[in-house]
Amino acid sequence: MIGFLMNSWVARVIPIGLVLLAIQTTLLVELRPFGVSVQIVLAFAAATGAVGGVERGAVVGFTMGLMYDLAVGTPLGATAVTMALAGYVAGVGRLFRIESHWWILALQSAIGAAVGEAMVPVVRLFIGEAAVSGTGLVTVVVVVAVAAMVCSPVLAPLGRWSLSLQQTEMKLPPEIRSEV
Amino acid sequence: MPLYSAGRRRVIIALALTSALLLTLDLRGNRLFDAARSGFSVALEPFQQAAEVASAPVERLWRAYSDFDALEEENLALRAQVDAQRSAEIAAQNAIIENQDLLALNSLESLASYDSVTARLVGQSPTNFDQQVEIDRGSIHGIRVGMPAVNEAGLVGKVTRVAPTSSVIMLVTDPSYAVQVKIVSIGGEQPDQVVPGFTTTTVEEPEETFPGSDQGAVREEFLISTSTSTSLPDETAVETPEVEVIRETGVLRGQGDERLPRVSFVAGNSAFGRIEVGDTVFTAGGSTSLAPPSIPVGRVANVITRAGTAGQELEISLSPELGRLQFVRIVLYQPPTELQQ
Repeated sequence: MIGFLMNSWVARVIPIGLVLLAIQTTLLVELRPFGVSVQIVLAFAAATGAVGGVERGAVVGFTMGLMYDLAVGTPLGATAVTMALAGYVAGVGRLFRIESHWWILALQSAIGAAVGEAMVPVVRLFIGEAAVSGTGLVTVVVVVAVAAMVCSPVLAPLGRWSLSLQQTEMKLPPEIRSEV
Repeated sequence: MPLYSAGRRRVIIALALTSALLLTLDLRGNRLFDAARSGFSVALEPFQQAAEVASAPVERLWRAYSDFDALEEENLALRAQVDAQRSAEIAAQNAIIENQDLLALNSLESLASYDSVTARLVGQSPTNFDQQVEIDRGSIHGIRVGMPAVNEAGLVGKVTRVAPTSSVIMLVTDPSYAVQVKIVSIGGEQPDQVVPGFTTTTVEEPEETFPGSDQGAVREEFLISTSTSTSLPDETAVETPEVEVIRETGVLRGQGDERLPRVSFVAGNSAFGRIEVGDTVFTAGGSTSLAPPSIPVGRVANVITRAGTAGQELEISLSPELGRLQFVRIVLYQPPTELQQ
């Protein structure tokens, strides 16, 4: 059991999560471009989804979100579900692409992070917390998405390592694959 | 692989159900989750300390880049403001002392009646949707969830989470924050002009004197000038009109970082017309309120008239500058109803 855990993605994702959370709660609360806190943990969830696909992205995003909820004190599961969604959305692009160019991964990460961050006020509303003002939400989503895109060249390889994925993983459309 | 395969659907459903379950358990209050949070904070602390040390130069560089011009301008403005307020401060201190003496004499509550703990801000919320800060004092210093946080300017927020050596404060601007407040309005109208349906108290102060004031100035300086007039030279004194003090209670709610908090009235009344821009807002206190009475909150910045019987809402310009907090004072106050439990 312990051996399995040590060799599984969990053993790599949790330490990465702790380091990213430490950065999130120290450096990134001070560095606020346009008054927005860059979400590095969310960016990692999205980048992992971009390199790992839908399921892995959602599961890693969920794990990172749970850690985030535990660290920040937000209701347990609230951030987890938004980060799972970010990983899922970022992973959708992997179903269609052939090669994993860095800029495609960056774009997927940005879209995933944007969707994840935009879902935060929606989830808060669902769990009965007061509605977050829509003012500034666009700025928040754009800045978080751009930051995820910029961080993607670093976070995508990290996500690939955490999931033990090969760097070049060709993916062919089903009709061509059946011919091969 | 299709976008909606059976395996994929199972994963998504499992995650969604797990989230719903965790949220339900956590929102109902769960000791296991609280213990998990405490444990996780302990595990995260070494990482945070390392990150603080490593990121300190970057933070300083960023601050130097982003804050320098604004700080220089603000410094000049503040110097001018300090000069202007020096004289007012002396008068205000005298007023505070006299006010506390009077409250003690009449066995009334005041903020000075409670012990407090001064704390330093050590962190902010890393999310973009919560208005929270972290302080370096916790349960071992007597802090409990719900206690009000203030600074020299007034109400800052309330304690929402307490660890042994740290606490989290929800700021007044957080959309989840709410507190009962009273609006103190000094009017000069005659009693027959009073709008029916509102609690009004008329304080008659014949022969009261104010330094170089006219009727308009009385409105803003009532709280200070009533108790400072004795120390001012007689030759500058002028006779003042009868002063009417209107108090109306309502609930102040945060509206997020970019919008002013709003007060909605417990008994909304469309005929409400006596509160004006510039009127002062204090906590109302009461047996169930988490904040003791008479903590300054701010001033009315805008009166919003709503259609029908919805009454009016007030936008409040807060006294404390929440973006620049360094230290806060936690008032060790718990409402009587909680103490009885």
